[in-house]
Amino acid sequence: MLAPSAFILGLFIVYPLGRAVWLGQQRCNAFGDQCRSNGFDQYLDIFTSNEFQSALRATIILTVITVPLGLFLGVGLAVLADKHLRGVGFFRTAFSSTIATSVAVASLMWLFLLQPSVGALANIDWINSLFPVIKDPGLLQDPDTALPSVAMSSVWAGLGFTFILVTASLQGVPRELHEAAAVDGATGTMRFWKITVPLLAPTLIFVVIVLTTRAFQTFGEVDLLTNGGPRPGNSTTTITYFVYGEASVIASDPGLQAGGAVLLFVILLFLSGLQLRGLGRRTDLG
Amino acid sequence: MRTTPVRLVSVLTAAALLAAACTGGDSVLDAGNDDPPETAAPVTTPTVSEPSGSAPDSEVDSTPDQPDAEPDDTAPPETVGPTTTIAPLADLPPCPVEALDAADGPVSITFWHAMANELETALVDLVAGYNSSQDRVQVTLQNQTAYESAIDKYIAGGVGSRPDIVQLPEYVVQAFAQSGTFVPMQACIEAADFDMGPILPRIADTYVFEGIQWAMPFNTSGPVLYFNRQMFEAAGLDPDDPPVSLEELRAASQQLVDSGAAGFGIALDSGRDSGGGWFFEQWFGRAGEPFADNGNGRIAPATEVLFDNDLGLELLTYLQDMTASGLAVTVGDNSGGQDTFFKMIAQDAPAASTIATSAAISSVVAALGSGVAEGLTPDDIGVGPMPGPSDTPSAQPGGASIWIPAGKSDEVTAAAWDFTTYLAAAQTQSTWAAATGYVPMRSDAVELDPIAALYAADPRYRVAYDQLLPTVDDASAVVPALGPLREIRAQTADAVAATYAGGNVEQILADAAAASNALITTYNSQN
Repeated sequence: MLAPSAFILGLFIVYPLGRAVWLGQQRCNAFGDQCRSNGFDQYLDIFTSNEFQSALRATIILTVITVPLGLFLGVGLAVLADKHLRGVGFFRTAFSSTIATSVAVASLMWLFLLQPSVGALANIDWINSLFPVIKDPGLLQDPDTALPSVAMSSVWAGLGFTFILVTASLQGVPRELHEAAAVDGATGTMRFWKITVPLLAPTLIFVVIVLTTRAFQTFGEVDLLTNGGPRPGNSTTTITYFVYGEASVIASDPGLQAGGAVLLFVILLFLSGLQLRGLGRRTDLG
Repeated sequence: MRTTPVRLVSVLTAAALLAAACTGGDSVLDAGNDDPPETAAPVTTPTVSEPSGSAPDSEVDSTPDQPDAEPDDTAPPETVGPTTTIAPLADLPPCPVEALDAADGPVSITFWHAMANELETALVDLVAGYNSSQDRVQVTLQNQTAYESAIDKYIAGGVGSRPDIVQLPEYVVQAFAQSGTFVPMQACIEAADFDMGPILPRIADTYVFEGIQWAMPFNTSGPVLYFNRQMFEAAGLDPDDPPVSLEELRAASQQLVDSGAAGFGIALDSGRDSGGGWFFEQWFGRAGEPFADNGNGRIAPATEVLFDNDLGLELLTYLQDMTASGLAVTVGDNSGGQDTFFKMIAQDAPAASTIATSAAISSVVAALGSGVAEGLTPDDIGVGPMPGPSDTPSAQPGGASIWIPAGKSDEVTAAAWDFTTYLAAAQTQSTWAAATGYVPMRSDAVELDPIAALYAADPRYRVAYDQLLPTVDDASAVVPALGPLREIRAQTADAVAATYAGGNVEQILADAAAASNALITTYNSQN
């Protein structure tokens, strides 16, 4: 009975994974037809290389910005839009609209907003006199602001997803609990922390895990906004861009690319495990 | 149930992180090279039976300008020592050009290209013209959206999923020639006795590696200077006589800035396909110096780059001075290729000029025609030769070419060749150039309408063509052929960006050369 699914799993998951792990200890030419096995300590070489460490650092910074900010904004907007007011439907639609926007479209929109010569942001006087970097050299061109700017675009694009999940979950919170607490004199803030947040916990854990995984796999934004740059230093080259980006230093070496991809897999496996363990223990997620 | 694997993974990762913290960072390109580096790898400088040890001055092997003058097995094999992997033409896949006659019914072939927007429309028209002009071959276009995508997909696919004909850029010549997956175009040229005579030698030579013509040039471009004629006039400069040398560019920029006509004389960038890579190579060609050894990598695979020299230093110092003194402005990586043009129409401190590919001319004219910049009409943009380190306009051809993948049936290969001859024909080149802004690759195409009429009516389109005309009979005539040229351009792009950031140019140049040489060594040991 298991045979068909085992076959499909084997063909599409296990075999490619095994191939990638094997390829990751090889160095190959661009066509991949001449490869040399170097043994599995090549993974350690890749992991400890300047380029991978720099990509890991960029990925961690991106995660540290996008996950809390995405969660905070998503929950905040969902709570605001959870009121029974006239016209709230419009705001719900607006707040969730980014889910219908692909990463490519969102990135191109940000690219033109942030363009330092003719972009919308660069030509609003009070903004660019407050932040001259917007014009010279440009948020995406300055090594210090490029990564936070990419993160901003990523947060914006991911907001609809968080908003919809949290909104759905909020609607499952029984009104009676809030009413009973209010009768007992609990303030709005107390009710949020003591009732809403605990009941939302399983959703929040799910959102954190998804946002983290998504941050670690960020590719489209980097590819379209900065191409891994700005040079020199390539401060927005994340692990995924390092592995797959066309301007990556290993773009012509399938062995190193596979090695980087397997390392990313291991890191994500570790992080997901850690999150499920750490966060799951404090809820009744099961 | 969860705990054990999680614990195992966390211990392993912690161990790895610890290991990472304890070891010094090397480049990822050294990964796996624990054994003494294989510097003695297969390719060493071959013994070329030309002026000994004078690679910089040695000639690029002549292309088959007159196929009949070149017997089958002359190409370089005899002249290069046994350590290289050059295959004589006879050992490479043949080109059965007559096979089309034996085919029953029309032969269908697929053509992968990377032309977008106006360029794609023009190509669709060309192919429709070919399909309706005869009944032996039907070509289907498949847009791969970009050269990079075409390259990646070609590499990833097997023979079965590869197209019957493919358009590839000039920077892959060595890697793709050595891939062993193509019918060398020279085999077809010789089999069909095709006359390469009218094709500009520098354009044909761009696709020659180890003496073999691997591809047929198709869409050719070159870097040119785009400038704002209004600003030039306001600054008291003659818009009909734009700067040609780098020193003239500096003087013009000074005048533009001092007069207040422009915020900056020129907008520069550090992109791989522009200021950080391609133009840097171009400037070496302009100065008559090779960028890499073994005749710019054309006679035999290069073993090192040569840009860490006085000229390299001079160029980077020039760029640093220009930006530091406020005469030029850099827009950074310019990955979309538009940022320098946007700087020319910025509200604050616009630049008066920029250097960009001639292929952009139709887009620039169209954009200005649509009123994107207030007060600027298409006639206000001037086009001049690429400024460079010499007083004579000259540039190396760029662009892309037509390749025929091997392993297809004889009929298909013959059909691909037939279509190639159509793309390379004088009338096709004239039509194509007029519709796109690319340069016709043949001297006889320039005399045919519509390009003849366009060149007469609007000399701006002719600038890129004229600067390819000067005959250069040394290795600097064409861009270098380097296996990892893409990655080396990334190194020079880093170097140019670091130069703009104010670094020590000597150190920057030395680092870029060392990194490039490591890439070449790795490439040579793998191919």
